Amino acid sequence: MAILRTRTHWGLLIAILVILFTTPLYLGNYWLGVFNFIGITLIAATGLNILTGYCGQLSIGHAGFIAVGAYTSAILTTRFEMPFLVGLLCAGLMAGIIGIIFGLPSIRVKGFYLAITTIAAQFIIMWVINQWGWTGGQLGMTVPFASIGGYVFRSGPSQFYLIIGITVLCVFFAKNLVRTKVGRAFIAIRDNDLAAEVMGVNLTYYKLLAFFIGCFFAGIAGSLFAHWNITLTPEQFSFTDSILYVGIIIIGGLGTSVGPIFGVLFIRLLKEILTINVVPFLEDKLTMFPSGFASGVTPMMFGLVIVLFLILEPRGLAHRWNLFKASYRLWPFSY
Amino acid sequence: MKIKKLLISSIVCIVLIITTLPLMTACGGGADKEGKTIKLGITTPSTGKAAEKGRPMEHGQKDAIAYVNAELGGVEGYKIEIVWRDNGYDAAQMSNIVRNFMDEGCVMFSTSSSAMMTAAMGLANQYGFPGLAAFSSPNLYRPPQHIYGQLPDYGDDFLAFMNYYLDEVWQGSGKPKVAIHALNNSTGKGAIDAARAFADEMGITILWDGAEGKAFEHKADTISEMESLTRIKALNPDVLYISSTPAPTALIIKNARELGMNVAIASGHAGFTSKLFELAGADSEGVYGVFPTVSWGDDVPGMDKLMEYCGANHPEDAGNGDYITGWAQSLIMIKIVETAIKNAGYDALAAGDANAWAVIENEGIKKLVNYLVEGLHGPVSYSVGDNRLSKSVRVFQVVNGKVEALTDWINAPVVKYEDFEWFGQ
Repeated sequence: MAILRTRTHWGLLIAILVILFTTPLYLGNYWLGVFNFIGITLIAATGLNILTGYCGQLSIGHAGFIAVGAYTSAILTTRFEMPFLVGLLCAGLMAGIIGIIFGLPSIRVKGFYLAITTIAAQFIIMWVINQWGWTGGQLGMTVPFASIGGYVFRSGPSQFYLIIGITVLCVFFAKNLVRTKVGRAFIAIRDNDLAAEVMGVNLTYYKLLAFFIGCFFAGIAGSLFAHWNITLTPEQFSFTDSILYVGIIIIGGLGTSVGPIFGVLFIRLLKEILTINVVPFLEDKLTMFPSGFASGVTPMMFGLVIVLFLILEPRGLAHRWNLFKASYRLWPFSY
Repeated sequence: MKIKKLLISSIVCIVLIITTLPLMTACGGGADKEGKTIKLGITTPSTGKAAEKGRPMEHGQKDAIAYVNAELGGVEGYKIEIVWRDNGYDAAQMSNIVRNFMDEGCVMFSTSSSAMMTAAMGLANQYGFPGLAAFSSPNLYRPPQHIYGQLPDYGDDFLAFMNYYLDEVWQGSGKPKVAIHALNNSTGKGAIDAARAFADEMGITILWDGAEGKAFEHKADTISEMESLTRIKALNPDVLYISSTPAPTALIIKNARELGMNVAIASGHAGFTSKLFELAGADSEGVYGVFPTVSWGDDVPGMDKLMEYCGANHPEDAGNGDYITGWAQSLIMIKIVETAIKNAGYDALAAGDANAWAVIENEGIKKLVNYLVEGLHGPVSYSVGDNRLSKSVRVFQVVNGKVEALTDWINAPVVKYEDFEWFGQ
């Protein structure tokens, strides 16, 4: 069945693409930067959604795999002076291969036990990056802006088009992947791995393939992050970020193609709004409260929103979106 | 059921508001640049793992600017406008915060910590957007570009303390053995680089954790260093030098005392604040420290006003050296703006664009000569090839629960770290 079946679908797609590609006309560099970061996060979250949401392999080391991609691309483009596109592709491949290595335990263990092995991946990867001279260790390294065929993606709008272009491709790939034989195998493994195996699904192959694809996406995101941020330090890929990625796909809706989009938009925009608008506003206006009160608002609000989501809408924003679509289809009738 | 629907509807409304706010704020931006103000970008780690330093720094910086606007009429008649952002000690946020400052039309920006400036400096250097780091390490400006250090760096701390120790304390024979416990970022790396560069010249033996250049490390949120300190104790050091923020420094001191380590303990200026003494309690007795500002209550011209504003606005920061550092950082930024306005005029800065940033650097920062910062720390001058604006530190010791200065101001010489092949590796 086609992804776009009705005129409404086509209309929505065209509207979204028009809005996306005209965004640099009405947003300043700062908000373009925010949306660039959203795009990068969305690629990584889409990868994690394939791995965890569709295939059921819980990974809490995703920031480590993003770091692999970031440093691979940075090293290739700075120390070996390779083109950005080579760096981008190698970043994905390297992260995918590392993902397969750390995904090997998934053949024997699952659930919380697998989560622990992926946590180990995060710490091992970051330890290597911290100690290895080529990465600049704790001080990190400076990376050039992305460039293709002599054109340097230096300005905010050019970076936006590059990142959003690749993001759209990744989301489209992920959407199609889950409709293929591979995608159905992933879902079968997630729902009941024993039944899947009895039906002839090769568990080892498909689990490792899920790790490869999920981490490939993380590597692509890492490469884009490196050439957008142009400074890499190990502190940019913390364990907290790995947990945040899991939070993003839970809030968005595990195992849905739109889930990561909603999750990333919600989390990143919430953080930006709190940091840029709410905290300085409270700091200025609520002088009757003890100093430092406003600074604590961001983590408090962040925690509160995640808890509320888990209680009120455990199936994520994607479920809410599906309900909205259903009611839109039936309108003006209730059901 | 109704309550659940209400709650879900509320969340959906919040989401809609949040997702449309950026568009509204983005469309409304830009008008401020036309006003007769000068914008300065300030980012502090007021939450997160280094909040015990970030919060007093934030308060000191804001209070100093409030004082200049309210009592001195601003800078050359122009009010200073602050664009403040809490970075939460999250390196991943820094590039967007710098972009925000550039977008808002700030003429320059400041950070409190070397780690956050390390994350920000790539973009700042690329765009020529000048930044001032209160706490710095050599990697920020070796080789010099557009990032400047308010104070001597963590490498200077180590060299100043070791020179004092060798001259005044060390009475053993041979070379004293020094173990470095370093925070696993630029804060720790600054001291490691200085030790690696000058150990032979000074006549000290560094106890590396395995390979040369690898110090004993800890994280900002460490909860125990008994294991690393046990290994250090087995190496029988004479000095334990800690280059970190106050909370981990206090923990390491307490752990070292618990292990009965009989060594001279010293801290670099990132950790040597009142928060350290509060957290370490009696265990901080005898600890040496290096600090680049005067002590709280010292008889210097700027102290009365600083204490007045601190008492009125943030009494909880009284006695905290980081408040002094923050206050002084704002005074220096204001002096830079004042110098630039005098040399190039307000119009050259008004737009807060790339031209304004160049004016701030060439007509402000690089024209600074012997600014005394109201006596709050060593004089501030720019010298070619050296982006540290102040070069003086003093060595202190906690004696009977009080911090006593052991030396007068020590001038830290410029070190060309980039000449060492291992620098930055």
